[in-house]
Amino acid sequence: MKILVIGLLNLRRLFRDRSNIFFVIVVPFLMIFMMGLMFGGGQPHRLGLVGGDGGPLAGRLATALAGREDVEVVPMATEDEVRTAVERGRVQGGVVIPSTYDADQRAGRQVQIRYMIRSNDMRALDVGTWVRSAVPREAALLRAARFGAAEGTTTFDQGLQVAQRAQVPGVEVQVTTAGRSVFPEGFSQFALSAPPLLLLYTFLTSLTAAIGLVETRLTGISARMYATPTTAWSIVAGETMGRLLIALFQGLLIMLGSGLLFQVRWGDPLAAAVLLAVFSMIGAGAAMVMASLFRTPGAAISLAAILGIGLGALGGTMVPLETFSPTMQTVAHFTPHAWGYEAFVTLVRHGGGIADVLPQLGALTAFAAVLLPLGAWLQRRAITR
Amino acid sequence: MPLLEVTGLRKSYGGHVAVDGVDFHIGEAETYGLLGPNGAGKTTAISMIVGILDRDAGEVVVDGQPLDVTSVKAKALIGYVPQELALYRDLTARENLRFFARLYGLGGGGLKARIEEILGIIGLTDRADEKVEQYSGGMARRLNIGIGLMNRPKLLILDEPTVGVDPQSRNSILESVQRLAGEGMAVLYTTHYMEEAERLCDRVGIIDQGRLRAEGTRRELVGLVGETDRVTMRAEGDLARAVEDLEKLPDVRRAESGDSQIELLVPDARTHLPRILETVAAAGAAVRTVEVREPDLETVFLHLTGKALRD
Ligand SMILES: Nc1ncnc2c1ncn2[C@@H]1O[C@H](COP(=O)(O)OP(=O)(O)OP(=O)(O)O)[C@@H](O)[C@H]1O
Ligand SMILES: [Mg+2]
Repeated sequence: MKILVIGLLNLRRLFRDRSNIFFVIVVPFLMIFMMGLMFGGGQPHRLGLVGGDGGPLAGRLATALAGREDVEVVPMATEDEVRTAVERGRVQGGVVIPSTYDADQRAGRQVQIRYMIRSNDMRALDVGTWVRSAVPREAALLRAARFGAAEGTTTFDQGLQVAQRAQVPGVEVQVTTAGRSVFPEGFSQFALSAPPLLLLYTFLTSLTAAIGLVETRLTGISARMYATPTTAWSIVAGETMGRLLIALFQGLLIMLGSGLLFQVRWGDPLAAAVLLAVFSMIGAGAAMVMASLFRTPGAAISLAAILGIGLGALGGTMVPLETFSPTMQTVAHFTPHAWGYEAFVTLVRHGGGIADVLPQLGALTAFAAVLLPLGAWLQRRAITR
Repeated sequence: MPLLEVTGLRKSYGGHVAVDGVDFHIGEAETYGLLGPNGAGKTTAISMIVGILDRDAGEVVVDGQPLDVTSVKAKALIGYVPQELALYRDLTARENLRFFARLYGLGGGGLKARIEEILGIIGLTDRADEKVEQYSGGMARRLNIGIGLMNRPKLLILDEPTVGVDPQSRNSILESVQRLAGEGMAVLYTTHYMEEAERLCDRVGIIDQGRLRAEGTRRELVGLVGETDRVTMRAEGDLARAVEDLEKLPDVRRAESGDSQIELLVPDARTHLPRILETVAAAGAAVRTVEVREPDLETVFLHLTGKALRD
């Protein structure tokens, strides 16, 4: 009950300061936006296109390729230009139509359409899927028209019009991966950086609770609270509850927002929320420990930044954990981040649920179970010693 | 049975002993003063009594209940007004009062009425919804006291509540404490102002360097120094040498030099005054004003410790 009184007071004070409203509401939206940019879910895929020498059939193919809402066809002058654009990532894929396209099609000769991508660009996979379904669909129409012309029933162009009207459903090319892949199909490589980013941010937010804790101690308000008939545990729990709620609220906001607006996947919502909650508690516990060690809010804020980012880096939230050497991976598991990362990988990449991340949740709960009581004890000691 | 019983209270920081075996007690409705200079150990002692500081040794019993840092029940009996302004500056007076009231377990309809009542007592009704950061020093002081009254304590503990306030606010604070004491609240009051201790307290404990040097009513304490007067001279020049010479005079009990002033204890000062002035002049100091006072707590303090209360 008193925990709630103290926690709510913290929230009230947080929202009284306008700069905190920025921190609580605006920053998560910036994060969502950032993720949107990274995932490109809201951005069109760009497809470089060259060739065809302005023939009407080549024109039809270009129109067909532009027929998906999130694909933007960028006409280019030379094959080299397309290649450079692909190399530099300005376009996700490049399509090269031979200059003899129209003539060869009409003559019924084999035509080769070349598709260029950067081998490690996952977004190109998505565009590639589209190209591989749009091209055969056009080819089917052309084949029908040529069939009519060869039979002598229509001219090629009339046949094409008829075929078009017939609206053959066309062939969709499905690319599937056999076995278990590191990244699921159609999965953006960047989507991997969303959960780590969230972990990094949530932890930092929780750590900033240390500043408020140092401040209330310095002003004598903490001591005054201890003079009331309130247990040390209630005071400490209440003091961190406000920040904990904020961290959770922000985390969920980011998860929901990026999921709805940019189709960022977070996996099983319940498991993700539980992970986030436990993770925030670890941050809150760490904040209490830190707050008890410092005499000024400035020192606390510096260490919060160093720890928040340092542990994040060590735990694989900046450079993916998979790329670490085995030794470093072991070291990384001394940070809660690595466990959080692993758990999110299971949820996001492999569609796991809460049961699949129990080991990681266990490890994270252990972190919280050590840090929260230790923090509470240190906090009390910092005041009553 | 006394309302507060403190025995053998002791606390040291590193090698420095801040409170060195303090014993005293306060009866129901009694006002007890701890009088001592800066660094005497008043705040340290009080912090242990209200249970916000771990003690090295000793015992605190409030209304029959032992109290330490982890106590909850005994703390409910005490109202605590810390020396510093322990207030949320970004909240209003009303919000501060409500918050601490709820930590004391107050709630419901009574809470609102109590807040209004306290706002009336501390004279902040009109400005109750302004943030504390907009308050004057005196207003913040009064709020600081108001919070300590929220839970209708049996024992009110105030740690130098008048430090840094203007004479008018100070007077109103002293009047409030007197009124509360008159209504039957026991009060523990620390100060380094002799006048406050004399005006408010039924009994006074004189504390210096962590030890209680003497204790009693004003009359009892003054009796310790006997018929001794206190002479205060404002002077310029070599005061240290003047003090040295003064101490050699027969009958001069103690002499002390402070910031361009000399204080000494001497029985029947009026008869000794000519020789005192001669001695000071001979030592190369020029006396500007002389004041002779009947013994008071300041005299007692000087007598007991050889120091002035304020330096
Ligand atoms: N946290 C601490 N760490 C180390 N020394 C301390 C601490 N708190 C107090 N002291 C020392 O203990 C002694 C008593 O301090 P205390 O604050 O109790 O004095 P006080 O009588 O309240 O003085 P004042 O009138 O200035 O408030 C001082 O010498 C002080 O320096
Ligand atoms: Mg003090």
